[in-house]
Amino acid sequence: MLTTALVLILILPAMGALLAAALPGRPARWVATSSAAAATALALWCVIAVYPGVHRSSLGSLPWLGEQAGRGILGVLLDPLSSVLLLVVAVIGLLTVVYSLPYVSETNRGHSAGPRDQSRYYFWLLFFVASMLGVATAPNFLQLFICWELTTLCSWALISYYRGETSLRAGFKALVMTHVGGVFFLLVLLILFVETRSFEFDAIAGLAPPRKGLVFFFLMVAAWAKAAQVPFHTWLPDAMEAPTPVSAYLHAAAMVKAGVYLMARSVSSGWAMPQGLAILLGAMAVVTMYLALSYYFRQDDLKRLLAYSTIAHLGYVLLGVALGAVGSTTGFRGGVLHIVCHGFGKATLFLCAGAIVYVTGSRSISALGGLARSMPLTATAFFVGILAVTGVPPFACFWSKFMLLAGALELPGPIGPGLLALLLGETLIAFGWLLYIAQKVFLGAPSPAARVPSDPPLAMRATLVVLILGCVVAPAIGIPLVEPLGR
Amino acid sequence: MSNGALSVLGLCAVNVLLALLLAPLYEGILRKLRAVIHSRQGPPLTQSYLDLLKLLGKEDLRTSPGALYAFAPALTLASVLVLATLVPMGTAPPLGFAGDIIVIVYVAAVSAVLAILTAFASQSPYAFVGGSREMMLLLAVEPVVVVTLIVGAVNAGTLATGDIVTWHTANGPTISMVVASVALFLALQAQAGKLPFDIPEADQEIMGGPLVELSGARLALLRWALWAKQLVFAFLLVEIFVPWPSTGTYYIDLTLALAKVLLVLILVAVVDAVNPRLRVEQAMRYYARVAFVSLSALAFAVIGM
Amino acid sequence: MSHVFLLGSSVALFLLGALTSFALARNPRLCGWIAVVFVTVAAVPLCGVVGETFRTGGQPEVILLHLSSLGASWAIAVDPLSAFFLVIAVVVGVLSTVFSVDYMIRLEKDSVAKFYPVLLVFFSSIVGVLVTSDFLFFLVFWELMTLTSFLLVTFERESSTSQRAGRKYFIVTHAATLCMVAGALIVWQISGSFHFAAMRDALGTLLDTQPVSGHLVIFLFVLGFATKAGVLPMGDWLPDAHPVAPSGMSALLSGVLVKLGIYGLLRVFCSFVPVSASLQAWGVVVALAGVGSLFIGTLAALMQTDSKRLMAFHTIGQIGYVCLGLGVGLYCLADNPALAALGLMGALFHVANHACFKACLFLGAGSVLYRTGERDMNKLGGLGTSMPLTAASSTIASMSIAGVPPFNGFASKWLILATCLLVGMSAPLFLALAIVGLFISLVTLASFLKVLGAVFLGQADENSDVREVPWTMALPQVVLAALCILLGVFPQVFLWFAHAALAGVSQVGLPPIDLLLGGSWGLTLAVSGIQVGFWAPSAIVVALFLSGSLAYGIQRAAGARVRHVPVWTGGEEHAAGTVRYPASSFYLPFKEAFRGIYPTVRLRVPAFPASLRKALDLDRWLYMPLARTVEQAARGLGRTHLGIPQVYLLWIVVGAMVVMGILLLTV
Repeated sequence: MLTTALVLILILPAMGALLAAALPGRPARWVATSSAAAATALALWCVIAVYPGVHRSSLGSLPWLGEQAGRGILGVLLDPLSSVLLLVVAVIGLLTVVYSLPYVSETNRGHSAGPRDQSRYYFWLLFFVASMLGVATAPNFLQLFICWELTTLCSWALISYYRGETSLRAGFKALVMTHVGGVFFLLVLLILFVETRSFEFDAIAGLAPPRKGLVFFFLMVAAWAKAAQVPFHTWLPDAMEAPTPVSAYLHAAAMVKAGVYLMARSVSSGWAMPQGLAILLGAMAVVTMYLALSYYFRQDDLKRLLAYSTIAHLGYVLLGVALGAVGSTTGFRGGVLHIVCHGFGKATLFLCAGAIVYVTGSRSISALGGLARSMPLTATAFFVGILAVTGVPPFACFWSKFMLLAGALELPGPIGPGLLALLLGETLIAFGWLLYIAQKVFLGAPSPAARVPSDPPLAMRATLVVLILGCVVAPAIGIPLVEPLGR
Repeated sequence: MSNGALSVLGLCAVNVLLALLLAPLYEGILRKLRAVIHSRQGPPLTQSYLDLLKLLGKEDLRTSPGALYAFAPALTLASVLVLATLVPMGTAPPLGFAGDIIVIVYVAAVSAVLAILTAFASQSPYAFVGGSREMMLLLAVEPVVVVTLIVGAVNAGTLATGDIVTWHTANGPTISMVVASVALFLALQAQAGKLPFDIPEADQEIMGGPLVELSGARLALLRWALWAKQLVFAFLLVEIFVPWPSTGTYYIDLTLALAKVLLVLILVAVVDAVNPRLRVEQAMRYYARVAFVSLSALAFAVIGM
Repeated sequence: MSHVFLLGSSVALFLLGALTSFALARNPRLCGWIAVVFVTVAAVPLCGVVGETFRTGGQPEVILLHLSSLGASWAIAVDPLSAFFLVIAVVVGVLSTVFSVDYMIRLEKDSVAKFYPVLLVFFSSIVGVLVTSDFLFFLVFWELMTLTSFLLVTFERESSTSQRAGRKYFIVTHAATLCMVAGALIVWQISGSFHFAAMRDALGTLLDTQPVSGHLVIFLFVLGFATKAGVLPMGDWLPDAHPVAPSGMSALLSGVLVKLGIYGLLRVFCSFVPVSASLQAWGVVVALAGVGSLFIGTLAALMQTDSKRLMAFHTIGQIGYVCLGLGVGLYCLADNPALAALGLMGALFHVANHACFKACLFLGAGSVLYRTGERDMNKLGGLGTSMPLTAASSTIASMSIAGVPPFNGFASKWLILATCLLVGMSAPLFLALAIVGLFISLVTLASFLKVLGAVFLGQADENSDVREVPWTMALPQVVLAALCILLGVFPQVFLWFAHAALAGVSQVGLPPIDLLLGGSWGLTLAVSGIQVGFWAPSAIVVALFLSGSLAYGIQRAAGARVRHVPVWTGGEEHAAGTVRYPASSFYLPFKEAFRGIYPTVRLRVPAFPASLRKALDLDRWLYMPLARTVEQAARGLGRTHLGIPQVYLLWIVVGAMVVMGILLLTV
């Protein structure tokens, strides 16, 4: 029953994608919405049914891979870690689809889209949802890799969706850079298969030391590329050429989270990551945070600002994973919890940015001002998003950052307090700047670009309301989910 | 009513009446003295009483309908009279159980505040200038008063005025108390509103400052309050800092105190008679220096000298 | 009924009120009245809890929620200290809400939908802060309180000054909260729990084993709470945030929010830090910080001409007095519990008093703003006759804040300063602090005489149509002014509560209040049995009344006629209001002496060096060149493809020959 449901979760959006491609116009939108809704409902049910245990079943095998590796190569896995990703991907996926209904249409002031464009959009978006769900439920590295590369493909298509010069260039850049990461992932698969004849997650713990270090390093590179970490951070801001719901989904909630999920998965399978590499991972995460922070002050494009913020926050997740690898369970939990919390917070922010683009046709911070008068709901959502993302209690990221900080202090020696100071410093600066931006855009006297009639249409408003709620309740759902994690 | 309560009430009445009735007399003496120094004939000693009586019957011209303007002069006098009950006159202060030296400092400030509020309430710009100057002078003088009283408190180990007097009577003079008494004497000049510190009134510049729009009975009360205040402060000075000789008999002590007060006020009048008026910032600078003197007294007190 | 039920029902009422008022926000007046009703009704169960707490000396702790992964649990406990602050919050909260009903209608540019609902959430977060006994959840409520107060401060959406001030407030206080997060986590490292009791034990251990981190933790907590309390230099947010907030909110900021910083400091020092030499050192630090901010804050206030900004600076100053009392109390806690109790009681009493008079003053300034639209005191004057109730309340409150006996400000200042002097007899530092305190008390007086003179006294404008404010705005001021008098004349009643509040949290047994403050007339300070300080307000009031009657009797004795005349201005005719003495002219020489006491520092975003920016731009020097290289290499390879069959054939032949050659050579 569970297995069927889990398979259906993958198949439904995929079917929806195909149908949407086949049926242009209004039907495509209905198909997309209903299939995403069904998948989300199933995903929720599965998570509740499985919690706090593990559900694993194999569906098929590839005999030519050999006795050991080939058996059960295809299947589904749902444990607390994948539940976290599944929830984020499914729920925010559904919200993105709903939000897209009015956004990807003729009424968008920034970019209008005709029926053919719409069906192309829904095809790729649902296909993306399906592959992301595949990443979440993959039982081994091989299946994870396949879904991983599918997400890369879909993201290329979606970033280049508007087909302008910059869009095509940005899509290509994203494709190449994340694919380079994928190559490293492929190398991992090869080494793993050669050494252990298996693609299982646990196999990674059984590797001999020099190989193990290499494998983890390659995994790290793959994760960095996918999650837009230093030194691969340059693709994400450019990818903001994508339609805003896509940015919200790909670059806040889903695709970039695949990278950190891979890291969390491989670290937590046997906790075998070499200490040195874990420290490197953590150090790079901190470097990424501050580097991303340094870009805040020069951004005039609201979405690019949010992209840099995303990069910084993925750094938080990876830092949590690194803390887990060096022995801090709380830190690991905090990092994983941050996936959920940041997902909701950042999706809110992106969808608000989308609402601004939709209504005003502009996303330049300097051109906007005083939007709150005409767009009170968007303003509220944006402020909630800012507070949630920067970790102002009682909103979402406070809890995950707090757990992360607590985890940092579980380490012996001066590392913990040092990290504490660094993270709190980043938090404060980011908070101050984003608050400034939010005030600039929404408060003060309305600018000429901001003389607009009202909030966006109902579907977009409803999405924003759900996300506002999500920013508050995400920790309440996330904390029980991360509690079984750890050694 | 018990015996103790009766004696408190009686002493209160004595202090209040002393302040009320002797203040014009002392002022009359001072006026005469000043006239003598200026080689003038001078008014009779009773002139101050006559002035008050005359003013009380005069028409009351009001520039503002406010209640504050109407009642504040009476309250000013009342606060000075309350101050009189907190200050030792011949014996421990009758309301000593109700207020220590901190209370004295604040009640003294209240009378100044009420005078300033009367000035502001009169709406005259001259009164505003005068009130503002009065406040600045208060800001300069009051720290000196505070510190000298604290010197006494530190020496005696208590904040109660009566106990400080008792201590000083019993222990004799110390360096700190002598220095402090000099500082308090210098402060008295401004508290009494005498030259060179009659800056708030400055008749030749701002026509009496706070008093410019006061007339009749209310002017009388305010004048009276000022005279009573200089008397009470002189009592404070002589009783705390020069309590000897102390016989323990109330009447003799009171008479002695009255004589000492007269002496102090004569000194004040002499200074008044021979000095020109300072500007307010000069006065503040002067009292800042006096404050340092008083702080040195405090330093002596802290090291037990 | 259990206290959790009562607290829960009052919070539920607040939240229900928030929803209701949000739904009815189209009608500002109705919305306001709904908020008033809900706040008042919600105050009833709170009062029940408070009464019960003072009767029983503390409510048992109840755990509502447990987060096992962090060792945190949401524990609710009401002790007398919480109850004390709850009372202040309830009184000022209800009165400010009533005041706001009419006041907010004037700000028609912005919808009240973002005032009353947020206000009610603000109240519930205050309740949360006061009753939570687990630091993690405490921080959550604390920051919720900061957030809601930020929203209330920045109510005027389109005013850029208000946005800027709100931003400063939020960022500064958020930084303070992050300091507390850091402190709490360092303690958690040892305790593994955020419960107050566990943190106390852990902090004790930490101070013994690693004194540096122990003191760092205390420092972080002090920083966190002192920022909220408005102690300089962290309290710099205060003079900006108060003037721009709607006046009801300004009253709440100064009356309640700032006080919670003091609540935090009391919690930290009375129940976290063990009684030891280090507590004594921290007492000195707190007292010095307090005197620093009372000195600078009050002198800076003297320079102001914006009425609300002036009062905000005075809040800094008055909080300085509270900190002075707190500091002297902590200094003595180990050696001399009697003096310690007196200092702490003075601090707590001043907290309550300051809530009364400062709320009253802000409401008064708000009333003036409501009628005249003006905060600049240079442009005001003579409002006393047209706004008698406001003028009277503000006068009483001004006298209270300036410490004029027998109002309440004097009683608490007397207690604090007397304690300081008594302690100073053995530790001369406190003598100096007390002298500064006494001097600054006069500066406060000067400053408020300026306010009264410039706003309410002096000449009114000709034909000004200023009237008294509506009763909803006048009533809260009158009530607060009455409280100022009541607390001033009967301080012993209120000090009993302060003593109970302190006895509930203090780690050392405090002497019973009868031994500290005996005397049936008022307050009599007794140290080791000897009475050393006296303040009996009722006796002084009686004496003042009698001598006042005497003086007034003299005034009326001759029965002189009263005649109203115009102000004499040197014989020249001036229109009313044109020969005013402006607020900026008061005390000019004195202000000149202290110019520059409050320097303004402008922060700028640090410029990022362009070279570093270039070095960090990986696209510019790494990826793009790499991509171009790959592209050029591909182009180079592509040149080999000419599309001519003969050339390809040539390649095949050449290739075959090479292969043949290799084979021949190797075989």
